[in-house]
Amino acid sequence: MAQKGKPKSGEKTVIKGTCLSSFGDNSNVACVDVKDDKILRIRPLHYDWKYKPEEFNPWQYKARGKTFVPPLKSPVPPFGIAYKKRIQSPNRILYPLKRVDWDPKGERNPQNRGTSKYVRISWDEALDTVAGEIKRVVKKYGPEGVCLQAEGHGESKVVNAAHGCSTYLMKLLGGYTQQIRNPDSWEGWYWGAKHVWGNEPVGLNMEFSSNLYNDVAQNTEMIIAQGCDPETTPWGFGGGCLPSLMCYWYTELGIKQIYICPDLNYGAAVHADKWIPILPNTDVALQLAVAYQWIINGAYDKPYVKTHVVGFDKFSDYVLGKEDGVPKTPKWASAKCGVPSRIIKALAKEWAGKRTTVAHGYGGPYIRGPYSSEPARMEICLLGMQGLGKPGCNQLTFVEGTMLGAYTRMRAGKGQAMGMLTPTSIIRPMVNAAYRGYIPFMWKQESMIPKTMLHDVIESGKYDIYGSSDQMDPVEDQFKHYTYPLKGKKEIHMLWTDTPCFTTCWNDGNAFHRAMRNDKIEFILVQHPWLENDSIFADIILPSNTKFEEEDIGADHWPVQYNCVYLEEKAIEPRGETMSDYEIVEAIADKLGLKEKYNEGKTIQQWIKAGFDGSHMEEAGLCTWKQIQEKKYYVVPTDPNWEKIPAGMIEFYNDPEKCPMSTPSGKLEFYSERLAKNFPNDMERPPVPHWVEKSEFHDERISSERTKDYPLLVISNHPRWRVHAQLDDVTWFHEIVTGKVRGPDGYLYEPIWMHPKDAEKRSIKNGDIVNVSNERGEVLCGAYITERIMPGVIYIDHGARYDPIVPGKIDRGGAINTICPHNVTSKNCAGMVTSGFLAEAQLADMDGLRRKYPEAFNRPYDKASGLKMERVLYKGEK
Amino acid sequence: MTRYGMIIDITKCTGCYNCFLTCRDEFAGNDNGNYAAAQPMSGMNWMKLIEKERGQYPKVKVSYTPVTCMHCENAGCIKAAQGGAVYRRPDGIVIIDPVKAKGQKQIVNACPYRVIEWNEEKQVAQKCILCAHLLDKGEKVPRCVESCPTGALIFGNLDDPKSEIAKLMASGTTEALHPEFGLKEKVRYISLAKKFIAGTVIYGDIDEVAGNVKVSLSGDGQTRLAKTNGFGDFEFEGLADNADYTVMIEASGYKAKSVKAKTLKDTYLGEIVLKK
Repeated sequence: MAQKGKPKSGEKTVIKGTCLSSFGDNSNVACVDVKDDKILRIRPLHYDWKYKPEEFNPWQYKARGKTFVPPLKSPVPPFGIAYKKRIQSPNRILYPLKRVDWDPKGERNPQNRGTSKYVRISWDEALDTVAGEIKRVVKKYGPEGVCLQAEGHGESKVVNAAHGCSTYLMKLLGGYTQQIRNPDSWEGWYWGAKHVWGNEPVGLNMEFSSNLYNDVAQNTEMIIAQGCDPETTPWGFGGGCLPSLMCYWYTELGIKQIYICPDLNYGAAVHADKWIPILPNTDVALQLAVAYQWIINGAYDKPYVKTHVVGFDKFSDYVLGKEDGVPKTPKWASAKCGVPSRIIKALAKEWAGKRTTVAHGYGGPYIRGPYSSEPARMEICLLGMQGLGKPGCNQLTFVEGTMLGAYTRMRAGKGQAMGMLTPTSIIRPMVNAAYRGYIPFMWKQESMIPKTMLHDVIESGKYDIYGSSDQMDPVEDQFKHYTYPLKGKKEIHMLWTDTPCFTTCWNDGNAFHRAMRNDKIEFILVQHPWLENDSIFADIILPSNTKFEEEDIGADHWPVQYNCVYLEEKAIEPRGETMSDYEIVEAIADKLGLKEKYNEGKTIQQWIKAGFDGSHMEEAGLCTWKQIQEKKYYVVPTDPNWEKIPAGMIEFYNDPEKCPMSTPSGKLEFYSERLAKNFPNDMERPPVPHWVEKSEFHDERISSERTKDYPLLVISNHPRWRVHAQLDDVTWFHEIVTGKVRGPDGYLYEPIWMHPKDAEKRSIKNGDIVNVSNERGEVLCGAYITERIMPGVIYIDHGARYDPIVPGKIDRGGAINTICPHNVTSKNCAGMVTSGFLAEAQLADMDGLRRKYPEAFNRPYDKASGLKMERVLYKGEK
Repeated sequence: MTRYGMIIDITKCTGCYNCFLTCRDEFAGNDNGNYAAAQPMSGMNWMKLIEKERGQYPKVKVSYTPVTCMHCENAGCIKAAQGGAVYRRPDGIVIIDPVKAKGQKQIVNACPYRVIEWNEEKQVAQKCILCAHLLDKGEKVPRCVESCPTGALIFGNLDDPKSEIAKLMASGTTEALHPEFGLKEKVRYISLAKKFIAGTVIYGDIDEVAGNVKVSLSGDGQTRLAKTNGFGDFEFEGLADNADYTVMIEASGYKAKSVKAKTLKDTYLGEIVLKK
């Protein structure tokens, strides 16, 4: 049980990292003013609050006669500023709950999951029940009978990790079945680009992103933002609002910014010199036509291709049509992707004539559609044709930049010393020694289920695949064969999740709902601060708290102005009966007699100290434990030699023999021998990148017969006003024009962007309630009619809170992922497909729905924030 | 003397809404004594953003205009209030006294900018106080300015000739949101969205855009020259409202083409085809 301290009086300021990525890494550091157990305000940290700027060696960029001086305050995005509302959400779970018709000693009623109500129980009863179920399941089915959903995004905490504390306990019980976190925001890079250029483990350039902000400023003439939104994805993670400043500065320097995406996204809306709208998930057609133009006009770097590329001939054969008889001309591409052929030609000419960097920010329509391996691979080929690594010609990632690349290098024993997107600090302050959550590469269970297939695997009891889909696995893993269940082991029978967001964030959420009702799953345990999304499938719900109610340590070592390490004091007392996730699992461990082993004999304070020691600040003579206790934060000085760290891939550019890529040949593999050898019959990811019209896995093009019923292509971006499933209850965002659409019935609907032409055809007006449907179900949204979307395309952000009218069929909350394609990326790529699929959108028949499902329309609802926890409470009804 | 003012640079606003959200964070549910009663948790907008889509597909951009109390020298709200319920401090900040202004709904309607709102719960008119409660405690800027990540909000002492704001005010580049109100606003703007005319020039005989082609625009008593870029695009920004313009396009070997446009709204002329 959480120890409650005395309420404190008087105002104080505590520091909190407000990044929402989880994994013990933090960013977006903020100051929180608190008085009498109440949060007054959340504001940026001024790096010079308790230090003089000269103590942390301020940096600046100089380029083309202009200077960029970074602000001395942390670039806190809206999510940090508005977080108070998340803490105060009426959807907080404040005490343990049990599903009313779930009886561990009798009838379990799995068929009612998602509709049953809950009753309040005591912590003692909850913990006894949970410990009893874990023991029972482990005894009956072995530890593999317990599946942990223990990763994903959430509050970034270290000791009190939001995800994966459960893994420490289950390891003590002999293991578990691990839900494998797929590369959920960079599928195509992982499954495709890695075969061309390695760049482990992400496939998107993070290994070689050092000093790229500066390289662009010095050398780049044009930036192509392909499916990239620097004004959205960086917010929740590392980088905050710094990309906004960089984009403005690039404009000032005369660097042209071209956005290629179906929507005029938020970055394009303010930074674009040119918007090239493209049909969702058709980028590879455009890219092939660009390659075609370059080849027929000889407009590419031939000497570079000779020395840095393998397989150009086979690539060229496909592009020119020698392989399949179809030359990939701009006219051919135009019919597929909707971009006029003359614009494709102009793009090819501009790109060949200007030093060009392609920019990304994870996520978006470009990289999470069917066959997403293909556009990702094609992009690296195009970059390669123009001398990838040459000053000004790189791939830039606005989000995180170096983060996961840093892990890879550490794992390879190459140490921490490496550059960052921004000028690097002399030491990256990492406090992972105190991290008590899930670390992707630290341990992998032999028994595992790719997250993208969890629903399938529960229902069918088997899989037979290549590649684990683990986001941190090297490319070699994609050739490894996996089956389930393991020989001599049992299937999963218990699900323990601290990440209850599958329905609204993964593929075919409706199928997940059905799988949760499978009687194989005898017990579902959810621990979470909010009663949202998959929480409604739980048999027992344990209330965890937010980081503002906890004490912890944090470090911002992502590419913002300055890296910091800080002590996070408790801001307010835990609300209700909540505890941190770490404490919850400790309490369960206690019931199992494993408390001392679980906490390794350390208190939270001792873990915090261990984290600080692990940052090596004191050893390096930078900041003592005493100093950090006194000042609560420390800004790590900028490396005086930051400019000497080679920018981007310049070393590979200069000498590919001495500084090879991590591909088998060490070069850029336009043709992959490895793919040819391992998957000779794979038509969805053949040895050179291809356009795939359709296959047994997907049929989601405008050429499909399905367009008779479902003529619109859906794109689903990483949300602007959420971080995936997080923050959908922050009322202040709902008042923003693109936040929510308040329907005529007062309900907050998730916006669907629709072009006036498509809206007119369907008699849909701004603000109307729209029913988006396909074979997998229906989702209600609120119409946002706009010129910012390509005709024929509708756009709905993912992550809205699931509010089923008919569980597994009709959703009112706008959780578009409930109707995303079921199948994974392609046969040999177990990635998720959450964008670029067909649907129809019509005016919703609200009267009909209300008549048919009155209960769904009468749940307790907060007009400002939406769903309320009370909606699931049992009040004695049948 | 210290006299405060604020400049809002529209070219630096990304629409992140940090100013709006910070204002909520500061005042919703937080009582600030004589400065301001607590705002309800939702619904009031002491700092709001006007979001405007400009142009037509596929030439579209978005302008965001943060709007707050202008702290006018000729403040109509001061005149409308009874019993000195609205007053101007020596530093220029206009404050609605949360006690004296109780029940005085007429204050809301006195503002032509519509930035005064009625707090139903507290029965009082409310608006931005430029975080006077924090400035008086030694803070240097209001919270919206502090949380603006791009420096679009510039705050400072108008009487200090060395301050950034005084220099900008002196530069002649700032303007009031509605100069026609004649209120001597202390919050002024840089680069408020005007109107644009844009187009894409293509060759009719070949499947190519027409880059590097001479484009001239005349109207509203001026002539402007431009060249199309590599995508065949041209754009004239900052044009007058409701004015008649003529765009003339000349490419050697092709017939010159002229197109007329009226700036009732931002106008994308679409693809303009040149013929031999």
